[in-house]
Amino acid sequence: MSVLTRPDGAATAAVRAHAIKPGLPVADLEKLLIERFAVVRDPLNPWDLAVLVPAARLREVLTFLRDEPALRFAMLLDVSGIDYLSFPGHTGPRYAVTYLMKSLEFRHRLAVKVQVDENAAAVPSVHDLFGSANWAERETWDQYGIDFTGHPNLKRLLNHHEFIGHPLRKDYPCQKRQKLSVSDPMVDQLTARLEAKGFTVVDMGDVHQGDPIAASPGAKA
Amino acid sequence: MTFKQIPAGVSTEVSLGDAFVTTRVDAVVNWARRNSLWPFPFGTACCGIEFMGVVSSVFDISRFGAELVRFSPRQADLLIIAGTITYKQAPVLRRIYEQMCEPKWVISAGACATSGGFYDCYCTVPGMDEIIPVDIYIAGCPPRPESFLEAIVQLQKKIDGESLAEQKAIGA
Amino acid sequence: MKVISPAGEHIDLLAVNVGPSHPATHGTLRLFAALDGETIVAGQCEMGYLHRGFEKMIEQGTYSQVLPYTDRLNYCSAMMNNIGFCKAVEKMFAVTVPERCVTLRIILLELSRIIDHMVCTCANLVDLGALTNFWYFFNVREAVYKLWEKLCGQRLTNTVTRIGGMYRDAYPTFGEDVLAVCQRIEQAVGEVRGLIEKNRIFVDRTKDVGIVSGEDAISFGWTGPCLRASGIDRDLRKDEPYYGYETYDFDTVIGTSGDTYDRIMCRMIEMGESLRIVRQAVARLKAGPVNAADARVSLPSRERVYHDMEALINSFKLVYEGVRPPAGECYDALEAANGELGFLITSDGGTNPYRIKVRPPCFTQFAAFSDMIEGELLADAVAALGSINIIAGELDR
Repeated sequence: MSVLTRPDGAATAAVRAHAIKPGLPVADLEKLLIERFAVVRDPLNPWDLAVLVPAARLREVLTFLRDEPALRFAMLLDVSGIDYLSFPGHTGPRYAVTYLMKSLEFRHRLAVKVQVDENAAAVPSVHDLFGSANWAERETWDQYGIDFTGHPNLKRLLNHHEFIGHPLRKDYPCQKRQKLSVSDPMVDQLTARLEAKGFTVVDMGDVHQGDPIAASPGAKA
Repeated sequence: MTFKQIPAGVSTEVSLGDAFVTTRVDAVVNWARRNSLWPFPFGTACCGIEFMGVVSSVFDISRFGAELVRFSPRQADLLIIAGTITYKQAPVLRRIYEQMCEPKWVISAGACATSGGFYDCYCTVPGMDEIIPVDIYIAGCPPRPESFLEAIVQLQKKIDGESLAEQKAIGA
Repeated sequence: MKVISPAGEHIDLLAVNVGPSHPATHGTLRLFAALDGETIVAGQCEMGYLHRGFEKMIEQGTYSQVLPYTDRLNYCSAMMNNIGFCKAVEKMFAVTVPERCVTLRIILLELSRIIDHMVCTCANLVDLGALTNFWYFFNVREAVYKLWEKLCGQRLTNTVTRIGGMYRDAYPTFGEDVLAVCQRIEQAVGEVRGLIEKNRIFVDRTKDVGIVSGEDAISFGWTGPCLRASGIDRDLRKDEPYYGYETYDFDTVIGTSGDTYDRIMCRMIEMGESLRIVRQAVARLKAGPVNAADARVSLPSRERVYHDMEALINSFKLVYEGVRPPAGECYDALEAANGELGFLITSDGGTNPYRIKVRPPCFTQFAAFSDMIEGELLADAVAALGSINIIAGELDR
């Protein structure tokens, strides 16, 4: 029986949460990371702890953060890209990818930031370390065009499959619309999932994609 | 919407004899159609939640005969688009519209469906009349349930003015 | 379609496309599944059908102009998004809102949580065929809408907070109206719980369906009632309290099996806990200002504007340009109905936000959906989808 259907029929079958442990103070956490990985504190974030990590060491750092008993950053909340093209006074690489980390055992929060150069816009994927990274990285690629090497399915997530360009880049005009003619049949993605499970697709059969969409003749031109 | 005149040889007026009978037939047919609109709620966003409020017992769309929401386009005759239409969704919307049988009507509910709303950007269709023809537009973000009901009433008045002699057809 | 199974047999699978125009997928989600009979062998889900460019649109206007866009993220509990955004910007300014504003925000947060859970639960139950609960919960939602209308003029997308405070103070009898609505909520929740909790059909359709273990939930970044239903007792209101949540007496609700039954029932009981908080908050409501007396965020009073040059300029700049948070990147979150709703705001010191990344709680939930339903029946997938409460406005932004 689950907690929610206790036989004593308590009106609110709720329990008090286990208090989260305070964990390391922010200053100690910072010191530990600097000593261990020679990270640099991100000057752009005076409010919370945010560190800059080179792309090459990203996987090592995130694995350490997740597995170290004193830290236990078990949850990757989000992966966020940013384009500093029009940021006043910015001199570093054009893009950055921020990984928001949270511990569930301690009251620890951390932002790990990787700077990404415009001409070599690639970051190692961490989809195998955290399940939440899969789609979050996909979205960052979709919106910014930053490649995540090793990602199993770097396809459009928010935008449609015929979209060209990466809309959240500062040089993409906000109102530049792109029409979609036919919905994505998704046959390749399903085939990939089947093959990952050990199936071999012999014959997909007819896939009715539908006719390409044209504006209604009665609609305004 | 283009209205195509049925060729004289097969016009209902000729085959039924005289205008009096046709208008009586029109009146009966229109009465049946206006009072039994079966909506297909193509609810994508916030307006969809307000549409759910219209269906609920406080505002009660069933007073207008439109309570039987049908999620199959084959069984519905009123397409209510409540929410933003993106370019990704556009082929889907078009296909749903084409799968509906005649007679069919379309209500564009809310600012986003009517004009794209305040999402003037790369992914939003600026009004779904770029994709399908629309009969009634409802303004609001989201429109109040009373506005939805007013739209149903206006549509019913529009249906009252229709005639079997004029067949609605898309394209030539 | 013809496939060869891992065991080497030639079998026929049926590729079925569910959505995006489908009642069970709430109009905006798509699942492309390979079925062996009724069982989903493999499925790939797709989103983005309501991608409206929130993150691009907010760069075009001021911080105040972001607020209506936040309403339309999780539109079932719009105020939670407003408050979440304002809280993040207030953190950047290090401005503290007055006590009355804090208490009002808690009432609005918890009532929004309740109505969000109501929509989630009744929509999920409609997918299972239990239509009656939809009417019961929507009638109560209408009562709450009336309250919102009296408070700020809008039913659904309220834009009720401002950076540094509220759009306007609550009207004098607001507390009594809130308590009356709480009565109705309690009654409706009791009725629906009575209808479903031990109902044979409901239990059979939701028990052991869509099981997500605690470890999987953590790995996928789940938060909120879905995480708690998997047995992980984490709630931002308890772990990192804000707005004085540590002074309120309430419990968090934890499930044990992480199945659809637990997810739905967690929400049902959480509504009761939110009612406790609302009643305590109404008792604490005291007279006072609702906007922080901080020139960087709040308009000066009319008397001062007419007599004092600095106040006139302050008012002019705040109206025409809006607030200007200090340059930098700041993340702040609150416990929304679905889980941790966060805003990562990058300011360049100017009037327009440089970048705002919304951390939507249901994004992580839907990302796990393909894995969750493999091996389940298609009908079970429908039940499970409703229980993870996907709101497309938040998912797709």
